[in-house]
Amino acid sequence: MSINQLILRNLKKNLKNYYLYVFALIFSVALYFAFVTIQYDPSTAEAKSTIKGAASLRAASILLVAIVSIFLLYANNIFIKRRSKEIGLFQLIGMTKSRIFRILSTENFILYFSSLLVGIFLGFSVSRFIMMILFKITKVDAIATLHFSREALVQTLIVFGAIYLLIMLVNYMFIKKQTILGLFRVLSSTEERVKKLSVWEIIIGLTGILLIGFGYYISTKLFGGDFLTMNELFLAMASILGSVIIGTYLFYKGSVSFIFHLIRKKKGGYLNINEVLSLTSIMFRMKSNALLLTIITTVSALAIGLLSLSYISYYSAEKTAANYVAADFAFVKPDEVEKFKNALHEQHIKYSEKKIEVIQAKANLSHVMEQNLQGINSNPNKMQLPVVSDRDIEKWDISPNETVFTGYNDLLQKFMPLKNSGKIELKGKKLAIPQTFLGLKKEYYISWYFTAGGIPVAIVDQTVFNQLKNDLDPSIQTESSVFFGLHLSDEKELEKANQLFKKMNFGEDRNSDSRLDNSNQQKSNMGLMMFIVGFLGLTFLITSGCILYFKQMGESEEEKPGYTILRKLGFTQEDLVKGIRGKQLFSFGIPLVIGLSHSYFAVQSGWFLFGAELWTPMLIVMVIYVALYSIFGILSIQYYKKVIKEAL
Amino acid sequence: MMIILQANSIYKSYGSKLNKQEVLKAINLEIEQGEFVSIMGPSGSGKTTLLNVLSSIDHVSGGSIQIDGKEITRMKEKQLAEFRKHHLGFIFQEYNLLDTLTVKENILLPLSITKVSKQEADHRFLEVANELGITEVANKYPNEISGGQKQRTSAARAFIHQPSIIFADEPTGALDSKSASDLLNKLSQLNQKRNATIVMVTHDPAAASYSSRVIFIKDGQIYTQLNKGEQSRQAFFKDIMKTQGVLGGVQNEH
Repeated sequence: MSINQLILRNLKKNLKNYYLYVFALIFSVALYFAFVTIQYDPSTAEAKSTIKGAASLRAASILLVAIVSIFLLYANNIFIKRRSKEIGLFQLIGMTKSRIFRILSTENFILYFSSLLVGIFLGFSVSRFIMMILFKITKVDAIATLHFSREALVQTLIVFGAIYLLIMLVNYMFIKKQTILGLFRVLSSTEERVKKLSVWEIIIGLTGILLIGFGYYISTKLFGGDFLTMNELFLAMASILGSVIIGTYLFYKGSVSFIFHLIRKKKGGYLNINEVLSLTSIMFRMKSNALLLTIITTVSALAIGLLSLSYISYYSAEKTAANYVAADFAFVKPDEVEKFKNALHEQHIKYSEKKIEVIQAKANLSHVMEQNLQGINSNPNKMQLPVVSDRDIEKWDISPNETVFTGYNDLLQKFMPLKNSGKIELKGKKLAIPQTFLGLKKEYYISWYFTAGGIPVAIVDQTVFNQLKNDLDPSIQTESSVFFGLHLSDEKELEKANQLFKKMNFGEDRNSDSRLDNSNQQKSNMGLMMFIVGFLGLTFLITSGCILYFKQMGESEEEKPGYTILRKLGFTQEDLVKGIRGKQLFSFGIPLVIGLSHSYFAVQSGWFLFGAELWTPMLIVMVIYVALYSIFGILSIQYYKKVIKEAL
Repeated sequence: MMIILQANSIYKSYGSKLNKQEVLKAINLEIEQGEFVSIMGPSGSGKTTLLNVLSSIDHVSGGSIQIDGKEITRMKEKQLAEFRKHHLGFIFQEYNLLDTLTVKENILLPLSITKVSKQEADHRFLEVANELGITEVANKYPNEISGGQKQRTSAARAFIHQPSIIFADEPTGALDSKSASDLLNKLSQLNQKRNATIVMVTHDPAAASYSSRVIFIKDGQIYTQLNKGEQSRQAFFKDIMKTQGVLGGVQNEH
């Protein structure tokens, strides 16, 4: 057999084994190429310019390269170790190391660069589709065109060529370092030998669980008012990150085998086939893969967390817009509202108008405050609040000695928790009017111009309102004291009315605002973020899924003798596959569940800074992630099935 | 005496129709309950193939095999597994223990599929572990114990579910002479005490001398048989040596 035949034959064999690697390579090249193409494409200028998109896209492509090159190097490492026997054999029959290196390089070259070409072709054909997604989620009105960009091609070739050279360098060093004997031994030396559980491991195991628990506990307190200065907050965040990551590592290093050991001990040596295949194998494997699993868990937690947060703000864009802009179109200046009304009349668009008088007053809230607000720069005895009369708000009719707060959001809830009832005092310049506080309502009646972004609005009886109005403190009043809200009678005309609104050019300060505009603006801000995080997350998911799959491939080969024994003893293939399903549930499930739980606590600690909806967007992200991730678990079970079938 | 295993003209061949390699040719065999039978023969004579076929791990190309009155050559994969689980025990040269299980867990493995209570399992384990002298290593992992202990563990696993017949493939192949004679003593003790049927493949005449009957095969056919009868182990050993000398390894050139 000539060298060329040898190479071809190896290629054929490898392709069958590593189809997933080829797939991941093609996918990453395609994605990278598409990203770079978008970067160079003139038609995306709008999406980019509105939101400093170019920089984010570039940062994303660099991150993508980082993820992909780590993946490729790692996968290559697994492969070359698996082929060490073959390399040893070549050496044994008298091939020089440089010759073996040439064979491997040629083989790799063909596999790698043909995947690269396929990837570029695919990337080119999907780039328009990806661009369409980008436009769609950033609400940019542009038509995605198909441009083949020479710069993108060159950049992709250079980047992946460099990664190829890097891989070759690693391979060269691997072959150079090895002796014939050593090569034969590689596999056995890397896997940890089975040992008894030591006291030390029990300590590691318990510490891991405690550290994770501690990190989670701090994260629930993060914005609860315990950490007030910037330094404290930073310290708290750093300790959460530190304790969770170290805890995760120790968890894999000790806790898993510790917990499994306890379960096993209870069985008193009487294990069934499922336990034999799952428990006993995993408790030793996890330990030796602790570092890898920690990285995978941490980065997937990061990916899920970021995706959830960006999706939360994207998803709740309409709701936040409704909170900020309390009508379809909101104004504070009479001349602007008149101008817009005229424009609506001309177009025969029907609407209803709402006028609300707003004054600013101080309030003493110290009796309804849940805790003292040392950190926030305001005094609970003299909080500034917008006040409106119940005459202007149809839903409410309030008696002269009562007050209701509205427009209270989750963010404020975290920073300034209020009781459900109590005594408060409203203050004018000289007057102080005692009131009974009736609690907080979520509705928004006036725009953020009056609420300074998120302060609740007090609704009082007309008489109280008049008293306060006659005793105004001029220094705290807003320039305009009337809110004009326009509601369209027919929602279908919103788009048309919004076009009119845009033509008016009411100025950048957004004192006059359109709810639709506000929500679109937010969507386009968060859309690009989501787009980038989404695709990076997908790449990471696929590459880490592949790595876990390769690991499982190796494990299944190593455990094959065990399957042979079990089948000789009379366990059927179905028995074994059932046990393997249990094993994979743990092998893939433990990192997944821990990743999900990390990201849950991360999102939980700060989601209110991003939007108004938590559960729906977070669960959607998590479900999609789990579904995609499970594919790799299922593929690995298929591989195990094959190994089990061949075992006897 | 009850016949526990009966093989009628079994054939086994490998390869395609054009390039067929016949490994077993018309082998007839009867093994009685409580017998300790050795199968000997030079390398390539087909003794391991014979054992694999008899123990249902490999399929025959022709002929029939009955164990405990049940025809196993026509059983489906699943039935065979079920049959092995309940009626057969195995001891192999490479110990074939699972590295991730302790000695006790390894031994109890065959019981996990039967409906034996935990107390009963514990009881049986203590009994067989006592007989084989491995009680004190019960909670150790296979890589923490010696080769002899491993093979005794493997033997204990073969006996624990009280199978109709135990197949041993070169059980002493990887052991030093002391551990080997230890193991064989234990096997023949168990054979007598429990009236267990053992079929053992070996190329070592000393190992074979512990059994009650030796079947010699050559080129896939039964060449001759020796019965121990009332003679001593040493005398039987000499007989075996003689026969093996006649049998030889390589065919003489004419």
